[in-house]
Amino acid sequence: MTTQTQAARPSAVTADRLKSSAAALRRRASRLKIVLGAVLAGIVVVPILLANVLPLPDPLEQDLSQRRLPPLTDGHLFGTDQLGRDLLSRVLHGGQVSLTIGVLAVLVSGVVGVIAGAAAGYYGRRVDAVVSRLLEAQMSVPLLLLLLLVVALFGPSITVITLVIAFAQWPEPARLTRAMVLVEREKPYVAAARVLGLRRAAVLMRHVVPNIINQVVVVMLLLLAQAVLLESALSFLGAGVERPHPTWGRIISDGQGYITTSWWLVTLTGLVIVLLVVGVNLLGDGLRDRVSRSRAAKGESR
Amino acid sequence: MARYLAMRVAQSLFTVFLIVSTVFVLVRLAPGDPAAAIGGPTATTEDLQAIREELGLVGSIPHQYWHFITGLVQGDLGLSYSFRQPALEVVLDRLPYTITLAGAAILLTALIAIPLGIFTARRANSSWDVGANIGTIAGQSMPEFWTGIMLLTLLSVVVPIFPASGFTSWSGLVLPAVTIALLQIALISRLVHREMAGNLAAPFVTVARSRGVAERALTWRYAFANSSIPVVTALGTRFAAMLNGVVVVEVVFAWPGIGSLVVRALETRDYPLIQATVLVTSLLAIGVQLLVDLLYPLFDPRVRVGKAVSR
Repeated sequence: MTTQTQAARPSAVTADRLKSSAAALRRRASRLKIVLGAVLAGIVVVPILLANVLPLPDPLEQDLSQRRLPPLTDGHLFGTDQLGRDLLSRVLHGGQVSLTIGVLAVLVSGVVGVIAGAAAGYYGRRVDAVVSRLLEAQMSVPLLLLLLLVVALFGPSITVITLVIAFAQWPEPARLTRAMVLVEREKPYVAAARVLGLRRAAVLMRHVVPNIINQVVVVMLLLLAQAVLLESALSFLGAGVERPHPTWGRIISDGQGYITTSWWLVTLTGLVIVLLVVGVNLLGDGLRDRVSRSRAAKGESR
Repeated sequence: MARYLAMRVAQSLFTVFLIVSTVFVLVRLAPGDPAAAIGGPTATTEDLQAIREELGLVGSIPHQYWHFITGLVQGDLGLSYSFRQPALEVVLDRLPYTITLAGAAILLTALIAIPLGIFTARRANSSWDVGANIGTIAGQSMPEFWTGIMLLTLLSVVVPIFPASGFTSWSGLVLPAVTIALLQIALISRLVHREMAGNLAAPFVTVARSRGVAERALTWRYAFANSSIPVVTALGTRFAAMLNGVVVVEVVFAWPGIGSLVVRALETRDYPLIQATVLVTSLLAIGVQLLVDLLYPLFDPRVRVGKAVSR
């Protein structure tokens, strides 16, 4: 890039120009997104992880004399719900359910997607035809209906909900991996590895996939944000993990009836979801910008 | 052209057939007896048998499947259990509401997202650009059910401008459509931005600019003309997905469309109704996608089928 040649002859003018250049602005923008995203996500994730250690009331403990207390009363930071349970504690424990499902779903869809996409891109022909058809078919499936149906039929356990979300999400990593492997497999190092006597599967797993995995992993963060949203939508519609586990969607759908008198039930729970999802999305987007830029820079210097 | 069309239609019908069959299998794979779930704890053995017969759950699986397929071809998907009407009719009754809502939402999306995307793309790498980028990320991070409830509370309870639910007048369309559009605008304007920024920086635009073509023409006739296909595709795909039932928003606003019907059908385990919904919505979704593909030649002369090599 131009940075090296400019650094050799420092001057105020070039420094100014560099600072306002498009590349510098993009770098600042992605740094802003990463920092902002990490902070927002951290505000939500850290308390969720510490929910069992923090001095909070039990999320299931009812106290009918303490019903629907507004926030900041009697040590209830978020107030209490219609059964007198502490809302903050319920939101944090609901977050544990959401994050568990989200992370597991993303892992499953990521592994399936990378394997399917890599095989389709690398082997081509019939493997590619099968995978591409599946990806196409999934676009015309009434997805949410199918997910709700499966949860209704097989029961709302964490496993079923995780698998259902993973099913909804595998096309994204698969499509991305396929596209990148298609480019990667034409590069000289693949031919070189083949000449050295490596089998095709070994070339794919030991050389091609490690070269692209960074970009896929970054996209997984964006998928995690979507998974959390999908889980909350499912539980809002009644297809969430069984009671008495608190889930974000159910806290909101239960609180809907009290919205005029107890605004905090829906509002605060929703804000926590938004903070987490915005944070993870910003972090993922910023990291993706950074990874694709460093990749582009490497490509130019070669 | 006719051959291409026939092949596409055949492919689409096959996909619908696969989807409907998958649902058929899923329903039968599930643990538990649907007849017991419908009949409740007081049902006698005869009741259960009657329910099973009505649901087409008697005989071997291949037999049931044959029964189902022959019915499907004749447009007979059985009686809806909770509505006591042919399931297909129930679904078709609800369809206009979902189409109205989806149509309004996609129109609103296109009217706002396209200008917004173009505006930010023309100011690529400015603080406008960064601000819009972060704004759209925030826009796509809000759960629809939450924005829906918030809008509903603010604009029909606290400040009563719009009706709270259902479809009593046209103003009832505003809040649900806006709720859907908020998310879609975020997604589509990002796409428009990406496409436009790429095209505006492309050599063909630079060349045209050096020839003295006006900026307005560069934006619309050069850059946007070349971005229109991905944008139209995305709008079409989104619209198709909405026809599958804008489930969440319909539930929040008690909108009498396919989405709220689906939730009810699932709650009551109304299998004929579920099958009918799956059939109708996937047919529609695939139909819309086919239509979008067929519209491409209008936007891009390069893909006019059969005329590509005639020059």
